[in-house]
Amino acid sequence: MLKSPFEFTARAMSNRPQIGQRLKEFEEREVARILGACTQCGKCHEVCPMAQYSKAPSGDHKAVVGGVLAVLRGEAGTPEALGWIGVCTRSGLCVPACPENVDPKMMMRLARMTALGGRGQPAQLPVKEDPDYFDRVRAFARLQLNDDELKEWT
Amino acid sequence: MNANVKARAPVTFWYGCNVLRHGDIIHACLDILRALDYEPSPVGGVDYCCGTVKDANQTAAAGMAKRTVGKLNDRGAPVVVWCPSCHSHMHEFMGRTNERRFEMSYLVELLHAKRELLAPLLVHEVPLRVFLHQHVGFNDLVPVNRMVPELLSLIPGVQVVHASYTAPGYMCASFAALPKALEDIHNNTARAAKHDGADAVVTVFHQCYREMVGLDAAGAIPVYNYIHLIARSMGLPYRDEYKEWKRAGEGAAALIGSERIAKVGVQFYERAILPELKKRPNLRQDK
Repeated sequence: MLKSPFEFTARAMSNRPQIGQRLKEFEEREVARILGACTQCGKCHEVCPMAQYSKAPSGDHKAVVGGVLAVLRGEAGTPEALGWIGVCTRSGLCVPACPENVDPKMMMRLARMTALGGRGQPAQLPVKEDPDYFDRVRAFARLQLNDDELKEWT
Repeated sequence: MNANVKARAPVTFWYGCNVLRHGDIIHACLDILRALDYEPSPVGGVDYCCGTVKDANQTAAAGMAKRTVGKLNDRGAPVVVWCPSCHSHMHEFMGRTNERRFEMSYLVELLHAKRELLAPLLVHEVPLRVFLHQHVGFNDLVPVNRMVPELLSLIPGVQVVHASYTAPGYMCASFAALPKALEDIHNNTARAAKHDGADAVVTVFHQCYREMVGLDAAGAIPVYNYIHLIARSMGLPYRDEYKEWKRAGEGAAALIGSERIAKVGVQFYERAILPELKKRPNLRQDK
């Protein structure tokens, strides 16, 4: 028997699926798969056209990838790894270059989410969200669409 | 109902967020889809955001993805996607963590599949030698670097030159925080287009159009999106206001008009929109 309405609320809350639970589980599975499959051969970093723009460029491809895996494990990333993570723009040339089918593009995306603090770990890269991003989208909609289109299409 | 009137196939046209800068592109896409016997129902903007911009907050990203997949499910029609970010995010995350119950196609794929129907609609000559601004990314998901030139080649008068430059990344907007890399893309694109003998640069994505149209505003080379050229050849009359505003820069307010600016607020316009319209690429002088 319930002792109070607060207990009922607490039980109901605990039975509700957490927001983002499926995404969290998917990302955890992907991280585990990547950590298990990657041999740190460094081919993904070697072919990356963005590595040259890193704040800490490095020719030691294996070490940079090792630093990315550390970020995925929730550990501190090296400056070289964080520099590479910070410039990934999803070129995807790493995917066919990987001899182990790791999907380094997914590896880098998950590392980026982790390094930005998006997956619950402390942030290791500065978050640069544009505070006007969504308001700017709304503003351009008002400049470009008529009232009926705004109502029906957005 | 007249039996000779062919029923149009309903589709949801999920255009994304930032293409709202380009109402002409959205309107032209809708007319092109109608001409190909679809009945497009457009949706987009903040309420249909895929959440890909929320890498730093996966709880928010998950909530946005769940909401948007649910809304697209509820529409009960196949989805045609305009935005490459939305399309990628649906494949890589949204569709793998939510129950997607709709067929999905990227617009370039659909136009390419329907090119035999599209070709006879392209009746107006567009005399241009064009350079395709292409990226190495996204092409593994949809081979846009092959398909878009094939579509452009259907337009009378258009000649697609062999592009001697391919930009890194998958689209230009993700370079906003990497100014040196974006500067290289601007310079390499303008230089390669001229080297390859093109009259104009053509982009695949609106995110690239927004950045590359700066080359046009700076007087380096005319820039279009591929939809602009298809629309022009079909005789669709839409005006590219964003390009006009971008060319005008500081003077864009006079073109937009006080009534429309009042809808977004003068202060917001001056703080958050005008800087984008005034921004020009840093073009290096060729030695």
